[in-house]
Amino acid sequence: MSLAITITTVLVCAGDVEASSAPMTATGGQNLAVYADAVYTSTGKVIENGMVRVRDGKIRVVSKGEAGEGDVHVAAVTAGMIDLSGRISPSGDVEESNEITPHVRATDAIDFFSVSWARQLRSGVTTAMISPGDENVISGLCAVLKTGGPRTLSSRTLAADAALRGAFGSQPSRRNHAAFGRPTDFYSRRPTTRMGVEWEWRKAMYDAIAAAGDPARAFAGHERLMEVLRGELPLVVQAWTTQDIRTAVFLAEEMAAHVEGGVRLVIDAGAEAWKEPALLVRTKAAVILPPFDHDGRTSDGAFMAWNVAALLAEKGVPIALSSHNAGAAADRLAVQGAWARRGGLSFEDTLAAVTIAPARMVGVDERVGSIEVGKDGDLALWNGTPFEAGSRVVGVVLGGELVVDPRGEE
Amino acid sequence: MSVNLSTDQRSDLDHPASNPESTKMKHLSRALALSCVAAAFAAAPAAAAGDGTIVLKVGKVITNAGAPIENGTIVIENGRIVDVGPDAAGRWDAPVREYPDLVAFPGFVEALTNRGMDRPNENVDVAPFLDVRDSIDPVNFYFEDCLRWGVTTINVQHGPGCVIGAQGHVVKPFGMTVEQMSVRPRSGIVMAASPKGGKSRATQAQALRRAFSGLRRYLEGVVQEKRDGLDYATREARYQGREPDEETARGRVMAGSGWKVEGLELVPRWEIDEKQEPLLRLVEGKVPAFIYCGSAMDVRVALEVATDNGFVDRTTLVLSSSCWKAADEIAAAGVPVILSATLTAIERDPVTGEEIETFVPGVFAKKGVEFALRSSNASTRSLWYQAAACIGHGMEREAALAAVTTAPARMLGLETRVGTLEKGKDGNVLLFSGDPLSVTSFCEFVFIEGEQRYDRSQDVRNTHLNTGAQPENTAPEEGAGEGDDAPDEDGDEDDEEKEDEDGEKD
Repeated sequence: MSLAITITTVLVCAGDVEASSAPMTATGGQNLAVYADAVYTSTGKVIENGMVRVRDGKIRVVSKGEAGEGDVHVAAVTAGMIDLSGRISPSGDVEESNEITPHVRATDAIDFFSVSWARQLRSGVTTAMISPGDENVISGLCAVLKTGGPRTLSSRTLAADAALRGAFGSQPSRRNHAAFGRPTDFYSRRPTTRMGVEWEWRKAMYDAIAAAGDPARAFAGHERLMEVLRGELPLVVQAWTTQDIRTAVFLAEEMAAHVEGGVRLVIDAGAEAWKEPALLVRTKAAVILPPFDHDGRTSDGAFMAWNVAALLAEKGVPIALSSHNAGAAADRLAVQGAWARRGGLSFEDTLAAVTIAPARMVGVDERVGSIEVGKDGDLALWNGTPFEAGSRVVGVVLGGELVVDPRGEE
Repeated sequence: MSVNLSTDQRSDLDHPASNPESTKMKHLSRALALSCVAAAFAAAPAAAAGDGTIVLKVGKVITNAGAPIENGTIVIENGRIVDVGPDAAGRWDAPVREYPDLVAFPGFVEALTNRGMDRPNENVDVAPFLDVRDSIDPVNFYFEDCLRWGVTTINVQHGPGCVIGAQGHVVKPFGMTVEQMSVRPRSGIVMAASPKGGKSRATQAQALRRAFSGLRRYLEGVVQEKRDGLDYATREARYQGREPDEETARGRVMAGSGWKVEGLELVPRWEIDEKQEPLLRLVEGKVPAFIYCGSAMDVRVALEVATDNGFVDRTTLVLSSSCWKAADEIAAAGVPVILSATLTAIERDPVTGEEIETFVPGVFAKKGVEFALRSSNASTRSLWYQAAACIGHGMEREAALAAVTTAPARMLGLETRVGTLEKGKDGNVLLFSGDPLSVTSFCEFVFIEGEQRYDRSQDVRNTHLNTGAQPENTAPEEGAGEGDDAPDEDGDEDDEEKEDEDGEKD
């Protein structure tokens, strides 16, 4: 008798999750109905004794429904969760040639063989954003992908260049040092301080503006920076502390004076966003919160108050929760929802913060983030009220395929 | 920055330290700490008589022993529960507190921890002559966290970096000295079947066995000396011209179910080396043993040593998460286990590279092994959460709750004192704002032995953790640690400037 609760049969999705017009295949594209005591749609509706029917990878019916013998029936169904800071790193995640690499695409280095995908998928996360590493100041373009399915970019990608990624704070300069007096290595480079990081940011922005007016000053990725400045491409910046959040906000506001449109700022790992929510409201920034830490001590010396999610929601700041690729099952995204609840976030806002809110932040809400007819058939199946300590994700539907079957669980 | 407790403040603590010089205030390196101690410890209402007598009328009593009681009353006298029920009544002069919106639950029991003490790993391989009471720090934040999260009984033990460690001490998380905190001294001896630093598994096992063979040789030697009249007491008596047997009571026959040394009754116990005496008590089955197993392979060694030396009946295994693989052997031996705070064991399939997750408590529950859960941090891995996680994995609610209350109580030999709200038990009561296992419930009050020791509304550090609010009369947060807080380098935000001055006070 196998003692292990094995949840590894994940990469068996055979249907083409992308094309809604795809012909039915032998194993994929069937009709799958999931019944639940409560269907939480992320559109403000809760359907008790509900049913979600998925066909050809898309949600076709959302209604009342009674489960019959052998049907998939769970306590609750939500949309598949979305982790914008799941931190499934592209392999070799730092481009060493430059600090400013807005032309580098995470999509070129996706490692489909990383265990992190299955880890996220079986935890109920069906969509994740993959970002280049934060050792660079502006590190490149993020890709939004499904966490399962065939190991091809075409089948998994929701948005190849969904946002530009960069970082403030200590990480981009952490190990750098001046090139004098010691053997030269990768870290013999600038910036070496927080101020240097900020200087690199502004220089890149002004260089991009200059390049837009003078082809002779063009550099790799300058068009991407202009897209950011015009508000066409979201800018996701890591900024743990309030000091770095300020820097990001002030920079965005400064650039708005030069380029029309305005930066669509998304603060990632904004642990200290609770300190000055007014700044975020003013600049219409969204916040991706890092995992809750037991005593509030997160990275970069930032203190994350437990009510940060509730406070930001109250002020109207869009928020998303994230898991940072937690290894322990008890730290993954669903549990982050539980801690946000403990900090005072309402159930509806918690649900939004792991589904529709992150989808909107990176512009994939047409396809994922809620249970609505026509959207992708990605569902998380729970054995109790979502975001409670005594319940968890026991089943996952991805692109209409039951990739984790709750009936195999006990 | 330094913290000084003024005389006035100290008297506020309601528990004057018997030895103010040793109150270890030096550990409170941050001003914040002062206020949290005040919050946690000064919360006891002045009205309470201090004799542990109180009547609690609450919306619901979850006794953890039978059905919950709606609108129940708990009567505590002299620190013990004397009655629980819908109509229980207390002494005429007992203070009555009414909380119709709160839910009463027995205090959680931490089966084993290495926290709340100074460095938990002694370098000497075999050190059962040491006692963690000398390392327990009453003002350690850990105990404050215990109060905040409803852990009222804590078995503090030597860490796993040992062959045989120090003697443990069961405490409650309240008091300025270990004596005030004490629930049961000499609460057990830890040993490790997995190697401490610098040892291989083989040398570790050897050292563990050798500690007991060494004890046996020592005892045989002591008996032989006694028989030969070569022991110190006999020689001293003869030197003084006394008959050696006249004044001294004889020793006791060696007890226990393992090996015996014939003639030990010739040796009074006080003549036995204090370095060996704790191990003798172990072999005689007089103290519980807690054996750390870092891997499933260590279970065999642990059980073998415990069986060979006669204390397997008093043994509890302290397991890391991968030890679930030895569940059959553990079930066969019939020993209880204390599980790692990491409830889900993850391993990689070497062929496919896929991760396999195993929910460890579920394995032991199925095998019928009694298990206790541990916490590893105050909030995200506290005992209530660990129990709730078990329910999330399909365990019966009763079994999950037992693993943080009655099961650890039994392992500590305290089943008559803690773990349930029943007549005769210690008056350790938690009052929750809702279901104790819900993320949206909070522990509002903690009563220990009938005295209120925690009031969430007075807990300023909790407020700080929840909202970032700085408690009054404390220095601001140190921020990123560098103190070089200069965020508005853009220079176009004049209204932000005043912030900087506040940060530089100390």
